[in-house]
Amino acid sequence: MSLLEISDLSLEIHGEPILSAVSMSVEAGKILGVIGESGSGKSMTAFSVMRLLPRGARTGGAITLNGVDIVAAPEATMCAMRGRDIAMVFQEPMTALNPVQTIGAQVAETVVVHGRANRAEARAIARETLNRVGLPEADFPMSRYPHELSGGQRQRVVIAMAIALRPRLLIADEPTTALDVTTQAQILALLKRLVVEDNMGMMMITHDLAVVANLADDIVIMKSGEVVEVGPAKSLFRTMSHPYTKALFAASSHVPARAAPGAEAAPPLLTVKSVSRDYILPRTTIFGATKMFRAVNNVSFTINRGESLGLVGESGCGKSTLTRAILGLEDVQAGEILVDGDPVFAGHSVNIAVRRKMQVVFQDPYGSFNPRHKVARLVGEPFHLLESPPTGQKRHDAIADALESVGLATSDEQKYIHEFSGGQRQRIAIARALVIKPALIILDEAVSALDVSIRAQILDLLAALSDRFGLTYLFISHDLSVVRSITDRVLVMKAGEIVEQGETSHVFDHPDHEYTRTLINAAPRLPTARRA
Amino acid sequence: MVDQPMQQEHAPGGWLRAALSSRNLLLGLALSLVFVGAALLSFLWTPFDVTKLDIPNKLMTPSATHWFGTDHFGRDIFSMIMVGARTSIAVALVAVSIGMALGVPLGLAAAARSGGWLDEIIMRANDLVFAFPALLIAIMITAIFGPSALNAIIAIGIFNVPVFARITRGSALALWGRDYVLSARVSGKGAVRISAEHILPNIANLLIVQGTIQFSLGILAEAGLSYVGLGAQPPIPSWGRMLADSQTMISFAPHLAMFPGFSILFTVLGLNLMGDGLRDIFDPRIRRGRG
Repeated sequence: MSLLEISDLSLEIHGEPILSAVSMSVEAGKILGVIGESGSGKSMTAFSVMRLLPRGARTGGAITLNGVDIVAAPEATMCAMRGRDIAMVFQEPMTALNPVQTIGAQVAETVVVHGRANRAEARAIARETLNRVGLPEADFPMSRYPHELSGGQRQRVVIAMAIALRPRLLIADEPTTALDVTTQAQILALLKRLVVEDNMGMMMITHDLAVVANLADDIVIMKSGEVVEVGPAKSLFRTMSHPYTKALFAASSHVPARAAPGAEAAPPLLTVKSVSRDYILPRTTIFGATKMFRAVNNVSFTINRGESLGLVGESGCGKSTLTRAILGLEDVQAGEILVDGDPVFAGHSVNIAVRRKMQVVFQDPYGSFNPRHKVARLVGEPFHLLESPPTGQKRHDAIADALESVGLATSDEQKYIHEFSGGQRQRIAIARALVIKPALIILDEAVSALDVSIRAQILDLLAALSDRFGLTYLFISHDLSVVRSITDRVLVMKAGEIVEQGETSHVFDHPDHEYTRTLINAAPRLPTARRA
Repeated sequence: MVDQPMQQEHAPGGWLRAALSSRNLLLGLALSLVFVGAALLSFLWTPFDVTKLDIPNKLMTPSATHWFGTDHFGRDIFSMIMVGARTSIAVALVAVSIGMALGVPLGLAAAARSGGWLDEIIMRANDLVFAFPALLIAIMITAIFGPSALNAIIAIGIFNVPVFARITRGSALALWGRDYVLSARVSGKGAVRISAEHILPNIANLLIVQGTIQFSLGILAEAGLSYVGLGAQPPIPSWGRMLADSQTMISFAPHLAMFPGFSILFTVLGLNLMGDGLRDIFDPRIRRGRG
């Protein structure tokens, strides 16, 4: 008999069906990958197992853990089981820890809550668990606070909290989504090791096929609250019986069709010449000298008209600082940024004529719009940059054009932003960037927050728009597969410096720099999707 | 990837339904309306003239003729409460308006120049005003200009300025980090325009809620100032001065203190409940949690 057995699980929240006939099982010492896009019910399945469902939820079917029926168990039994028998690791390590408690205290807390040990023993267990997750005592004493750790280290603490009592089942809900690729690889390896060491069952919930492809023993694919395909990881990708699995797989490795870049004889559109940007660090002592942090150090590159340039790097490498400098939001300390030969900053004020040639699309489709404005007003905002903004019918036509070119209806301009899904919002963000017909669009992680199938559509749209309007893209991302699919050239950035640049295919196939190699090796790959 | 349900920030109809199902809001609204109604009515009609003395009928207990009884000059207490509501509401309303009109722009300016010298000057000046209680400011002002309802308004208004400046700056700062503000900056919009178009509409709900709370504090402050004789001057009735006048007679005519006291209590309670209810409605997270 399996460790966790979910059979015919159905779930309704306030009468709205969320899950229907969901069945899956997790064996001890094995990893089950649960894959699905937003709204597929994968997280709700996990919450059903923990019985941490929102109010108004009604479940049907059976969930048994080690023979104990979870659906019927009284709340007191569930409280005892949560943390002891079933533990959970969440996506966001930045908010999962209490910022005012030391990491040792937080790990020990779970042990004490379940009455397994007194304070001193709990601390000993906490220390040992922290050692096991790769936070050795010499570098990470228990007295550390969460803010002193990096994202990956915090996620290790979260994992330590989850496994301190050696639970039988570990549920990991997108545990590496918020992390950089190299960190992600380390955390995945850690989880795999813990599963084997403790003979623990693990349910790994993710949207990313590539993450589970090499990790999970079995895979369940979910869509709109139902399981569409189940099978061993080794054979599932070969057989792929359900069309949705095939679609998901295709979307994950989607390469949009793009026209070949034009001749490079023309002068470059954007020139970045030995740019440096310093930040003043907060003083640690009242009379101490202020210290500077160099976020971008002597960076130079060019983008040709019609080209798509990728900028790859992990968090904190200076990508965002560079973006802000190019957009003219922050001045630089050294070097210059030229668009069509004109500087972005003339003296210390922004050159409006240059700004008109640039627009930006941000990552978060939920935070990029003022919730109180209608779409027409949101999309028309960049008109402010023009000397004589169009009015009346002209303005209306321009906005309608922009909306149509991103595949939305003209009638959408009278709606508010909350009426749109994440993918549609990102289309509106692109429409906003297009409306004044800029030459350069900076895409700052523009597809990172989207589901794979939506991401594929947006990438197609970007490729088509670039061909149609002769747009130039600066594509900033931490996702190597996306960068590979849509850029001509790529820059690899680390600690404020560009360590490697070249044609995308060349850099990916023959990386010269050590760091580029590390990045490429750390990125999870689909088993049969390696492109030639 | 972000398994986030669609945010329902302003679902049509949801706003009104939430308002009608909020017990706090309805009760608060009802209480507040009673006093606003009484104040408005007093312009047209009061049972008796509040300035007319009727010494033979002084200190009468509540009866069919004098619903709340009469005071030591024989004036009708019910009429005085009605006219007193006028004073209280007017003082509080103008004081809150002064606070908002000065505090909100100052807060927006401080947030737009966060960390700069303008921010420092505005916020340190706020700290300075905050350091003096409203009553102290009122005493200082009346020491210079003499006691009157107008000076009470100015004193309470000055006290409100840093309250609004602070709450505006704090919530505006959070919004300045949003992507939509960033993209407005990319569109070349300046700080003033961004504050007006993007920041202010998104913090308006907070300001309205704070406004109702400051309004009730304003009524309390006016009552307090009148009690010590620095507010509205006789013969204009004021709840605070009615209380002050009644204190020597409290042993044999308790109704003199009771009615203005309860009026203050219920108005402030009503306004606070309304503020709480409004906050619940404006904040979608709380609304869902209590739904």
